[in-house]
Amino acid sequence: MSTRSTETSTPPAGGVAVTAHCVHVPGAGDGPEAAAPAGDAAARAVLAAAEPACGPDQAHTVLGRKGLLFKEPATRLALCAVHRALGLPPGRLAEPLPGAGSTAVVVSSNLGNVQTVRDVAATMRAGSAHDVSPLNGPNASSNVIASVIAIRYGFTGPNLMVCSGATSGLDAVRLGSLLLHGGRARRVVVVGVEPDDEVAAALAGLREDPAPAGGLRAAAACLVLEPRGPGTDLLLGPVRHHARPDDHPQPAAGALRLVPPGAGGPSAVDVSAHLGDTYGALGVLQLALAASWLTVGDHPDGERRSALVTCGDAEDGYASVRLGRVRVPVPAGRA
Amino acid sequence: MRVAITGGEMLTCLGDTAATLTALAKGADGSGPLRFYDTDRINVTRGYHIEDGDGGGDEPLLRTGRWLAACVRGAVRQAGIDPSVQRVSVVVGTGLRELRAVERWALDGVPVRRRDLHFDAAVREVLPEAVEVLTVSNACSAAGHALALAQDLLAAGEADAVVAAGCDAMSESMLTMMGRVVDAPTPALQPFQEGRAGVLLGEGAAAVVLQRAEDAHGTWLAELLGTGLSCDAHHETAPDVAGIVAAMRDAHERAGVRPQDVGLVLAHGTGTALNDPTEAAALGEVFAGAGTGPLVTGIKGSVGHTSGSAALMSLLVAAEALRTGSVPATAGLRTPIAEAAGLRLVTGEPAACDARVAQVNAFGFGGVNAVSVIRVDG
Repeated sequence: MSTRSTETSTPPAGGVAVTAHCVHVPGAGDGPEAAAPAGDAAARAVLAAAEPACGPDQAHTVLGRKGLLFKEPATRLALCAVHRALGLPPGRLAEPLPGAGSTAVVVSSNLGNVQTVRDVAATMRAGSAHDVSPLNGPNASSNVIASVIAIRYGFTGPNLMVCSGATSGLDAVRLGSLLLHGGRARRVVVVGVEPDDEVAAALAGLREDPAPAGGLRAAAACLVLEPRGPGTDLLLGPVRHHARPDDHPQPAAGALRLVPPGAGGPSAVDVSAHLGDTYGALGVLQLALAASWLTVGDHPDGERRSALVTCGDAEDGYASVRLGRVRVPVPAGRA
Repeated sequence: MRVAITGGEMLTCLGDTAATLTALAKGADGSGPLRFYDTDRINVTRGYHIEDGDGGGDEPLLRTGRWLAACVRGAVRQAGIDPSVQRVSVVVGTGLRELRAVERWALDGVPVRRRDLHFDAAVREVLPEAVEVLTVSNACSAAGHALALAQDLLAAGEADAVVAAGCDAMSESMLTMMGRVVDAPTPALQPFQEGRAGVLLGEGAAAVVLQRAEDAHGTWLAELLGTGLSCDAHHETAPDVAGIVAAMRDAHERAGVRPQDVGLVLAHGTGTALNDPTEAAALGEVFAGAGTGPLVTGIKGSVGHTSGSAALMSLLVAAEALRTGSVPATAGLRTPIAEAAGLRLVTGEPAACDARVAQVNAFGFGGVNAVSVIRVDG
């Protein structure tokens, strides 16, 4: 007899808020000079949000040692981003998180398991199916990242794996918001992640438009979405698809503009030019960077109020979303 | 908000929608020798292939996307929607995407493009005006998840019509993992059968068009009452009764039905050691006290485990059974497992059914569960 009941949730009439975020890009947080040139002040201000992040081989320093055997690099990076976004101490949880029963998971990744897929088939061809470790079985299924996150943190809400190409990151954000609107969850953990293994990197280069300099970059980012509440700081707008990179309403004056790979424009920040190609991770990564930019530091005149994020490419089209700061804190002495 | 299914198409090893429904009514078994792979090494010898008209020659490339496109075109045509004036979104559920093309590229040097891995380009071949094409890779319940998201998009007013689709071809890596876990190759897929040997893969695609009831002026295949979703958060490959029960109860609540209102269940029924008793236990728990309980059948003995498209194939079969009052028998099932003794499984011959409401089960690796409820009024 199972005891779990279905938890239903109320749709968020007031909109969807970003209540936590994390950028986990190995190597990008080693000081601003590691990420952007000194002359590009806007990019430096955005990329300053990237904190030091361990690589997949060091994931145990964030997650503890148990449960990482046969976990692919993309899965490890995704777990690190979730763990840090949730503000958890290093190591494995002793019990599920509060609210885990109504927490959904939406992950975006296009290339997370391509190396395993190649290796499994190659091993079989060289011998037989019995030469492959059964522990690699889950990795043959593309949704392994999302399900491993659910298992580790006990998230029994809907669990989605989005593999939509260059817009996949913002598609995941879109579907995460939709799960809140549909009353299917009270909290959604959204992750964008790509690995940089040999197979993934070669596959990422098989495209018509020029790839960002530096090739594929291992990267993960996490956003936690919840219905707008009294403590809401960051409000997420609707995600819109469009055919051309600039086919969206103009951003508000002073808004941060994060553009897709290769797109320019006045005061636009192309994080891919500095970090490399993060493909299915990009939209989530851009939003996590924007969330930091909007909330970190003291900006008494409220000049950091909104951001417009666009990801995508000429092959898959583009997706855009706004992130706005709802409350601008009034600094002491000015009230 | 009421949601109508106004178009639907599937492609299985038994043929198109009409051919598949006709063959299922006769209890057909569409399995055959496994093609394209070294069966000695991979330890899988049978499967449910789609004949692409290749004359038994080399394996055609990017088959999944072509099957998907054919089904999307058929469903859109039947629904009579006009994507040039209506906002049409597409949600594609898939387990294995075009990973077969990645294998051919990485191991055989067959060219592939990065964009071939997902289904934006394939869908736009037949639906260039689509507002968006979202590829959701949710294992063996992917089409059930696509159905849930499609209904939510309509409810949120974000689209005028949504195509929910599913598709999968076999992949060498997935077949390898199946061959890895059995001593001898599985001879047949027999859902809920005592002493069953395991699962065999099928292939194919399916698509339906969803519209708000007030916009659906043509014939309805069915009303989509609701889809429940859950994740076991329990094990990467083994199913869990609690998670499956949660998805069924979520589905009933969203659909506004009680267990006794459900007259037919299209089971996930994969014929594996773990799925069938787990699914039987979950059905037993949810339908306990609901009178005689629903008729239960499954189609995987006929079309194989079609993974990403399985939920929608089952849904189209359920809609036809409600419409005609005849439920196809579960191919390959003669003596049910003890755990399924309380279920009204349909065996041998089709069963008469005057139910109006049917439930469709789909469960996937990673413990991702989707259960849909449809209604067809006679």
